[in-house]
Amino acid sequence: MAKPTKEEKRANIMLQALKLFSKEGFYTTTIPDIAKSLDMSVGNLYNYFKSKDILAKEIIKYISAYLGAELRKINEEEISAKEKIDKIVRIYFKTAQEQPEMIEYFLRVYLSNREVFKDGCEGMICVSDFVTEIMIFFEEAVRNGELRDQDFFSAFGLFMGYLGGMVFLNGEEVLPQKLDYYIADISHNIYKALKSDEN
Amino acid sequence: MSKKIRVEKLIEKIEGEATLGFHFTEEKIDFVDIIFSSSRGIEQILQNRAAQDALVINPRVCGICGHAHLIATVKALEACYDEIEISEKAKIIRELTLNFELIQNHLKWFYLTLLPLVGMKQNVVLASKASQIMAKAIAHLAGQYPHTSYAIVGGVVSDPTHIEIMHVKNLIREAITFFEVHMVQADTRELIKCEKVDVLLSKKGDLPEVLQLVLQNDWQYIGKSFDRFIVFGANSYFQRGKSIKTRIQPHIHEKFMILSENDRSLAKNVTYKQKYYETGPLSRAMLLKTPLIKDAHRRYGDSVFSRIMARSCEGVQLLYHSLELLSQLDLSQPSYIEPSQPIGTLSGEGIGAVEAARGSLIHKVMLEEGRIDRYQIVTPTQWNLSQGTREDPGISQQAMIGLHDEKVAEFVFKTFDVCSVCTTH
Amino acid sequence: MKTKLLWIQGLACNGNAHSFLNYPHMEQFLEDFTFVHHPIIDASKTLAEIVKTYHETDILLIEGAVAEDFNRAGEEIIAVIERYAPNVKKIVTVGSCATFGGVFKESPYANSSGVLFHEETPVKRFEAFKEKVVSVSGCPVHPDVLVNTLYMLREEIALRIDAFHRPKEFFAYTVHNGCTRNEYFEYKVDNHRFGEKEGCMFYDHGCQAPFTHGSCNKILWNEVNSKTRAGQPCMGCTEPHFPRPNLFVTKKNMGIPQYLPFDVPKRAYLTLSGVTKAFKISRLEKRLFDV
Repeated sequence: MAKPTKEEKRANIMLQALKLFSKEGFYTTTIPDIAKSLDMSVGNLYNYFKSKDILAKEIIKYISAYLGAELRKINEEEISAKEKIDKIVRIYFKTAQEQPEMIEYFLRVYLSNREVFKDGCEGMICVSDFVTEIMIFFEEAVRNGELRDQDFFSAFGLFMGYLGGMVFLNGEEVLPQKLDYYIADISHNIYKALKSDEN
Repeated sequence: MSKKIRVEKLIEKIEGEATLGFHFTEEKIDFVDIIFSSSRGIEQILQNRAAQDALVINPRVCGICGHAHLIATVKALEACYDEIEISEKAKIIRELTLNFELIQNHLKWFYLTLLPLVGMKQNVVLASKASQIMAKAIAHLAGQYPHTSYAIVGGVVSDPTHIEIMHVKNLIREAITFFEVHMVQADTRELIKCEKVDVLLSKKGDLPEVLQLVLQNDWQYIGKSFDRFIVFGANSYFQRGKSIKTRIQPHIHEKFMILSENDRSLAKNVTYKQKYYETGPLSRAMLLKTPLIKDAHRRYGDSVFSRIMARSCEGVQLLYHSLELLSQLDLSQPSYIEPSQPIGTLSGEGIGAVEAARGSLIHKVMLEEGRIDRYQIVTPTQWNLSQGTREDPGISQQAMIGLHDEKVAEFVFKTFDVCSVCTTH
Repeated sequence: MKTKLLWIQGLACNGNAHSFLNYPHMEQFLEDFTFVHHPIIDASKTLAEIVKTYHETDILLIEGAVAEDFNRAGEEIIAVIERYAPNVKKIVTVGSCATFGGVFKESPYANSSGVLFHEETPVKRFEAFKEKVVSVSGCPVHPDVLVNTLYMLREEIALRIDAFHRPKEFFAYTVHNGCTRNEYFEYKVDNHRFGEKEGCMFYDHGCQAPFTHGSCNKILWNEVNSKTRAGQPCMGCTEPHFPRPNLFVTKKNMGIPQYLPFDVPKRAYLTLSGVTKAFKISRLEKRLFDV
């Protein structure tokens, strides 16, 4: 078997860190904890990530790139905005179900601990891959008349706030059904809220 | 049986062309048809466009006086508001750039159009120089010349500093020097106060030389029309009103302007209370009672002599007035004040009247929720070249009636500084 | 040996002829070129003469849009061009009307267009002559652009032209190159207000400079200034779609400008925007002359 590349090792560390943050909590998990769970020396881990703060920021960029790549695939399909909304909801919920620590990190660590991210992750620069794809989705759908023109943030808040809220509730085990159950209605609601008046 | 013939002549180099049909009876012109045969449909092009698009499209009515169209457009749009505030600074800047266009238009007319009519050669290099000096002055304040749209509803887009003002001032002074070196070799500060034509005639320079040629050809009394003058575009220098000979009536209103189609030409006629009026530098000088022009008029009436003098001397008055305006400019004021209601949502009607080089230019706009429902433009050449009838001739027709020679008639015609593109927009 | 020029007009306003008159070295130009006909400058032939029969010339300059039923001195402009085009060495379309139709493509005359193009679409009318055509678009054309192109033709310098026959010497640049407001564009500071020397007009006020070909901010207008430096948005006057609707307003879809700078991929632009928007540069948020 080929030796894992540096990139693969980095990804491994981030995924493992995500699991630990999810299980034990962000503040209580230390770099030595992460190194031990990977059978790595602390010194070796520091070769990949110089501090926990840097690791925290790289993780959010990684998640953003992962989701961004999935959204880009959807953006590049020749389907209607309505169908794209459905696919975006699906991929978001699929990630929330199969890799819950990713979305959890986004909601409970990134959004809720801004002081960790204020230097080097100003504004939305660390989630730019993800946000760029949402911008492209909106811009093209408005341009071809499917969605109503409005300020980016009011549309973004509706879409992402809704999805994030559902995943949060799911994480709190408040929802009676699994996330999948709600996909059809949620996609429909989002489309109806954002579509242009002519449609 | 009196000998009647009709001779047609294509008149070129009037920012386009026109055809004059001279009716001769016993070798004297007793009527002239004025025919414009092409039109570009600007008023239709504007239909349904956003209001401020007119600021970009209307300068393209005319390549020589497009700036006047810009200022008339912005004033017409602003007139659609019940209340709108334009700073003194913006008003002064707009008046300055418009002055600069007038000044270079008159000098271009003198060196390109007038000289060949009196047997001299065009001086393209001098016309270019005069044009460049004033175009630079406009560009400092408005970005470029020709074809800027720097005046927008609420003021002007530019934010000049003292540096731009210094450049503008020196360019005005350069234009004054141009006038003193080429047009009249005299101290222009004396010239603007001059009260006697003879004093001007005694000087050296291109203008006195042309006037001497007019006198030598015995043309000083030809080209008289009805001695009826009208000026709509009031500003800090020009006065609004009409003058029948020297009797001034200051109260006029655009609502008495009547436009009518004319079956022989694509240019529409315009009258004021059913009468034809002359517009242009002579009219403006009559309303202002400018001493030198008053003297010319006293001697020669509204003939080519007075028209040439008025058009050639107006520029220097405007140059000094512009220096005065510059001294009043307060740069600390805002250039632009956002209107209370965005023009994109406004419905209403407005009229904008300005003095373009050739006379009063009037724009009328009707807006429906920020879009142009209807736009009407009346240009100075439409006033001067209205086609009347034998019983009731138009201004320039009357000026040519009684002459014996088409070439002399063309000379008289061109002393009105005709702009074909404006007339047939 | 002076190069002979014959300047004719279709549906025009004369703006290009007057812009040309502002060329700073007119005296020298007239030593190298002579007009067989010009709408303002006295020349060897009158309009009446040149429309009726062919008169020898090296370069044919066409100003204004071309349309059916549009006449000059009683002759159809299309017929006049057809008479000259086969015999001249070069044809120069002067200004945007002659190049793309410009303002007057919307004129009520039938099929009004530029000599070779109606907006971006090639027209068949004078297709046979397209190898001879050089286009100097602009509304009006910049005098240096016209004159220097004529000099290059006179000296038989091989012109590199773009898809619309415009010389790359002038039209490879964008109007954006050299604008004094560039820093506001670079850092996506979208706080422009009319009447101020600060701020970039691309975000809200319809400036088309980043996607308009031209040298306005490189060679400047009247040797001193440009629209965008003065505070007027670029109106895209050298381009096929001039005049677009709703000038002075930036068309946005969900807050994203519809027209982006040339050749910049949307993702690149949005990512860059996202990055720069995260930072506040205080110098660019204030008035320049403030203490």
